Amino acid sequence: MKLFLKDINVKGKTALITGATKGLGRGAAIALAQAGGDIIAIGRNQSELDSLEKIVKKLKVKYKSFNCDVNNYDQLKANILTLKKLDILVNNAGTNIPEPFLSVKKSSLEKILNVNTKAVFNVAQLCANQMIKLKRKNSSIINISSIFGIVAGQNRTVYSMTKFGVEGLTRGMALDLARYNIRVNSVCPNIVLTPRTKKYFANKKYSKYVKNSTPLNKVVTISDVANTITYLASEAASMITGTSIIIDGGWTAK
Amino acid sequence: MFKKINLRRKTALVTGAGKGLGRACAIALAEAGAKVIIISRTKNDLSKVKKIIKKTKGSSRSFVCDVTDEDSFKSILNKIDSLDILVNNAGTNRPEHFTKVKRKNMEYLTNLNMKAVFNIAQLCSQKMVEAKNRKKIGGSIIHMSSQLGKVGCEERNVYNMNKFGIEGLARGMACELAKYNIRVNTVCPTFVETPMVKKFFKNKIFKKKVLKNIPLGKLASEADVATAVAFLAADTSAMITGTSIIVDGGWTAK
Repeated sequence: MKLFLKDINVKGKTALITGATKGLGRGAAIALAQAGGDIIAIGRNQSELDSLEKIVKKLKVKYKSFNCDVNNYDQLKANILTLKKLDILVNNAGTNIPEPFLSVKKSSLEKILNVNTKAVFNVAQLCANQMIKLKRKNSSIINISSIFGIVAGQNRTVYSMTKFGVEGLTRGMALDLARYNIRVNSVCPNIVLTPRTKKYFANKKYSKYVKNSTPLNKVVTISDVANTITYLASEAASMITGTSIIIDGGWTAK
Repeated sequence: MFKKINLRRKTALVTGAGKGLGRACAIALAEAGAKVIIISRTKNDLSKVKKIIKKTKGSSRSFVCDVTDEDSFKSILNKIDSLDILVNNAGTNRPEHFTKVKRKNMEYLTNLNMKAVFNIAQLCSQKMVEAKNRKKIGGSIIHMSSQLGKVGCEERNVYNMNKFGIEGLARGMACELAKYNIRVNTVCPTFVETPMVKKFFKNKIFKKKVLKNIPLGKLASEADVATAVAFLAADTSAMITGTSIIVDGGWTAK
């Protein structure tokens, strides 16, 4: 037992991760499993859910998955209501379709709003209600936001609108859920190299723009973000709520 | 994916290490494996902290020094081989209503909370940059800020001015020191159970008001803050710079 250094672990806790099959969600699921947590993965690709199962089970924690689209409210609700344990939510599923403001298609706006705002809200509400119903103690919700929840980026008006929204939601939820000892925070990464952003980085100009905008002159890794998520999920962060941890190599400090 | 906080082979300097948050940070960093250099004006306090660190099998060196005495601080830096982490913590407060703030108190607070904080950060950065492999091994500077570096509060106008200033300093330093892979961040706690706050809490009305303003309904512990500091000191936060971790139980989310 340390005197002042709290241990970062989630032993005995159950974590639900949306968008768990790829990128940040997959990284968060593996990190939380490594930190001792049982994992509930939500994703849309069965073979990827199965491959995650193999990795997680090697870490000797429990694994359960739901093949479910977060836009499908009824199925989402039915799945979450079956849970007997739930302490941590990593509200991660999200998307982006970069377009200049003047040419944003109605279909893009609808799609991004549905996933990044409405589904994020629904997942958070369903999980919070389940945490309260199960009388869990010391729960933690982590909404995956972005530096574009803090500043704007080119061709990212809709994404910024949704991520600024997630920042507001995080603070509001933190106030409403404090009495249940459910903490709510967001993480705001810079543009991380993931399967979704790979195509952006393939553009040399874009890749240079990201590095040049990042004082540390490096790209944020999935592991950088997963470590912060694990810290917020653990009781080491038991007085952190209603705020964001920005992981951006200094992008927004400028 | 997941890394524990580990500061082995790192040297950390903590100012104001004799009491309260500085003491907690020094012990926490030692518990994470760092060699710790503890600075305080009070020899007796330093010996007590040194004893605790020794008991937890950590290693420390102590120097009696008033951080407003630049020459004395410089001579300490000359006695140490290298420096990887600075916890720029020494600071104080003298709450007064704005119209009644005594000139000597404004001077005293500003000299300690801003001028000394700046000087120490500059001297330590110069020392850190000396290491030829700095870019590879990185460095981390953590300023002890406050939630009052983010929001205002009655009778805290000078402290507000000082801590908002530190928030600016941290961002500026982060931009300039990124090229050396030295990260600069702040930790912004709410009221913490420290000797300083215990004194303020003799005022019952103030105590009630404070607790009412923290959605989680409790004060931060010294360990909560020290753990956030250790998280920022370690490679677990390798891409976090120019930002703050707010440890306030939701105070500033309102």
